[in-house]
Amino acid sequence: MHYTPLLPYLDPGSGSFIIQIAIAVLLGLGVAIRASWGSIKKYFGAKPKPEEEDDDSDNVQS
Amino acid sequence: MSKADQLSASFRDPSGFLFTDKGILYRQINRAYSKDYTRLMDSGLYDRLVKASLLIPHVEADHAPAESDAAFKVIQPERVSFISYPYEWSFSQLKDAALATLSIQKRAMKLDMSLKDASAYNIQFVRGKAALIDTLSFEIYKEGEPWVAYKQFCQHFLAPLALMAYRDVRLSQLLRVYIDGVPLDLASELLPAKTKFNFGLLTHLHIHAGAQKRYSDKVVAPRKGGMSKLALTGLIESLEGTIKKLTWKPAGTEWGDYYENTNYTDSAFEHKKQLVHDWSVEKKPALVWDLGGNTGIFSREAASSGAFTVSFDIDPAAVEQNYRTVKTKKEQNILPLVLDLTNPSPALGWDNSERDSFGARGPADMVLALAVIHHLAISNNVPLPQLADFFAAHCKWLVIEFVPKSDSQVQKLLTSREDIFPTYTREGFEAAFSGRFYIHKNEVVRDSERVLYLMERK
Repeated sequence: MHYTPLLPYLDPGSGSFIIQIAIAVLLGLGVAIRASWGSIKKYFGAKPKPEEEDDDSDNVQS
Repeated sequence: MSKADQLSASFRDPSGFLFTDKGILYRQINRAYSKDYTRLMDSGLYDRLVKASLLIPHVEADHAPAESDAAFKVIQPERVSFISYPYEWSFSQLKDAALATLSIQKRAMKLDMSLKDASAYNIQFVRGKAALIDTLSFEIYKEGEPWVAYKQFCQHFLAPLALMAYRDVRLSQLLRVYIDGVPLDLASELLPAKTKFNFGLLTHLHIHAGAQKRYSDKVVAPRKGGMSKLALTGLIESLEGTIKKLTWKPAGTEWGDYYENTNYTDSAFEHKKQLVHDWSVEKKPALVWDLGGNTGIFSREAASSGAFTVSFDIDPAAVEQNYRTVKTKKEQNILPLVLDLTNPSPALGWDNSERDSFGARGPADMVLALAVIHHLAISNNVPLPQLADFFAAHCKWLVIEFVPKSDSQVQKLLTSREDIFPTYTREGFEAAFSGRFYIHKNEVVRDSERVLYLMERK
């Protein structure tokens, strides 16, 4: 038998789902603003920050 | 293969489980998880995470599955030198484990995968860095779905870190009581009101706790497409920003001055370091436990012999400093942990077998017990023969320092109480420990009244 489980194996919690969706617009907006802020700075000649993925030799533990 | 060989910590996830055979650790992957595992390997995510030291490497093994009906593959993950638990970590260790989890999630999302759990117990310190040890934690990302591991992440990481940063660092011990992380309503109640002015803590903790309460008995079917990938990225970045801003610095503690409160001369200190170094080199232990390791000065002497050294101390500030040294010096074979020797970590979880006790994770090849015996024998009233039994249960080689009653540190312990320890003498100590150990060496530490012993378990 080959199947894929449809539901998560841990209860993600109704409240924990609702709050994510409730703040989704705000969080998405934040990412969009940060992304466009990068391109505005780039337009004016600022060097873009290196992507996290480019630094595979290390992780982000501060 | 009997069921008994399955490790009891990995029963929850139907994707697979851990088992051992002839001392080798394997992980069976079930057919239910085949698509997700194949995506993890084929998408390049596995390689990227392993290269970044964020996931432990594994090889696909030619071993028969433990439960063949459900099996897809058997893998052999790299074995972790010492398994530790979040209630044994210092503030920065828990913070790094949280940031590693979020970094993994961000990298996974770029390749259309997502973490299906965010348990602090899935993170271990490997070569000095926090890394995921559960290869089966990934699932193919489903567009529009909220993060299923959000609740777990907030309970396992955000709540205890916020409590440690804003209330008291000792609240990490709540993780010992609540095996699935600190309940958010409890954290929300315990945190000071000013945390409601921190956007991250307000949303992910206080409002989150309220939402959990409000919807606790309601069935909610999330709308499809309710959470865009952009919003999910925002959620992870928001959690990351919130965690990064949480800091803890021990109040009233002079950093780096731990050893200034001792009654040692420099020459006594150096002599002790030399003895620990020489005896470690001579006995070549693979695993050393430094019990009462403070900031890890003597742990480093043992580690320099090549041993993996776990440096335990009761003081979260000392452990914090030790961990920061590990990071600064990029040390790979020292693991600092918080442990109260008079009440060491018990076995926890379902059937008391999900998390091992302190003792079950041993024995060590060598134990260092330096400047610790008077705390156990006098402050905690443990009779010397019982102390000998304790150490004999946990190591083959014992490097132990006897601190006599005339020592000012012991005098301090006896100032406010009756001296009910007539056998606490060098002779009494040797007699008690001779019952369980061969005493191979004893050296009076230069410029002191203390004696360092090298003993071997009988």
